[in-house]
Amino acid sequence: MDIFGAAFFALLTIGTIGAGVGVVLANRITTSALLMAFTFLNVAGMFVLLGAETVAMFQVLIYVGAITVLILYGVMFTPQSPRPYGLFFQTQKYWAALFVVPIAIFVAVVAFEFRDSAAAGGSGGDLVPLATSIFGDFAFPFEVASVLLLAAMVGAIVLVKRDEE
Amino acid sequence: MAVPLGAFIAVSAVLFFIGTAGVLVRRNAVVILMSVELMLNATNLALVAFSRRFASIDERGSVFVVFIFVVAAAEVAVGLAIILSAYRNRPTVDVDEIRQMKG
Repeated sequence: MDIFGAAFFALLTIGTIGAGVGVVLANRITTSALLMAFTFLNVAGMFVLLGAETVAMFQVLIYVGAITVLILYGVMFTPQSPRPYGLFFQTQKYWAALFVVPIAIFVAVVAFEFRDSAAAGGSGGDLVPLATSIFGDFAFPFEVASVLLLAAMVGAIVLVKRDEE
Repeated sequence: MAVPLGAFIAVSAVLFFIGTAGVLVRRNAVVILMSVELMLNATNLALVAFSRRFASIDERGSVFVVFIFVVAAAEVAVGLAIILSAYRNRPTVDVDEIRQMKG
């Protein structure tokens, strides 16, 4: 079980990081979108490895299903003429590296603090504690979240609707 | 399972910085949205990892993950609508060329 879990984690790590780098570096935008869906699937596998099956199911439903399709629609509605690869990067990439690398080192150090923490993964599924939390203590934020979704839907329709006159 | 918590946190941090680099470096607005989604997903991974590690106390991290799902869905819907309406004014999704949000 230990060897199996570690091997599964290594596979998922390679998939997540590789596909994530592919999203940023891919020349064709459709490739980026599909690699993004693959990254989401790998992260869902990590959720399963952590014992959070319900969150993994939500991840597959919402991210791999809904958000990827939405972004593919966005790609479809904004056709671009193919351009040389170098033009896809902005001019401030060295500034970006200057800011990202120190923060990345800091976070790596922080993550290293947890190296001999106890093995991840609680016992039992996460459906019952998740449901009791959401519909108990977090009932009001849950309703507010539904209002937020409604407002976002109305806003998206108003933004995209063509003027009739 | 033998995988330590720090391994998940490290993967989450790397994924978050890949997303950050995508937001900072790419020009295509749709790819920038995808990179923001990668960052949100990295956050979800860290939250679930910590939540399962301290599962004896509570399961609050997974609740926050569900709310992040909601906010991510709203963000993608509104973001794509903004990109589409900007594309209608000028047929480009290049954030260097979109210099005004005025309709």
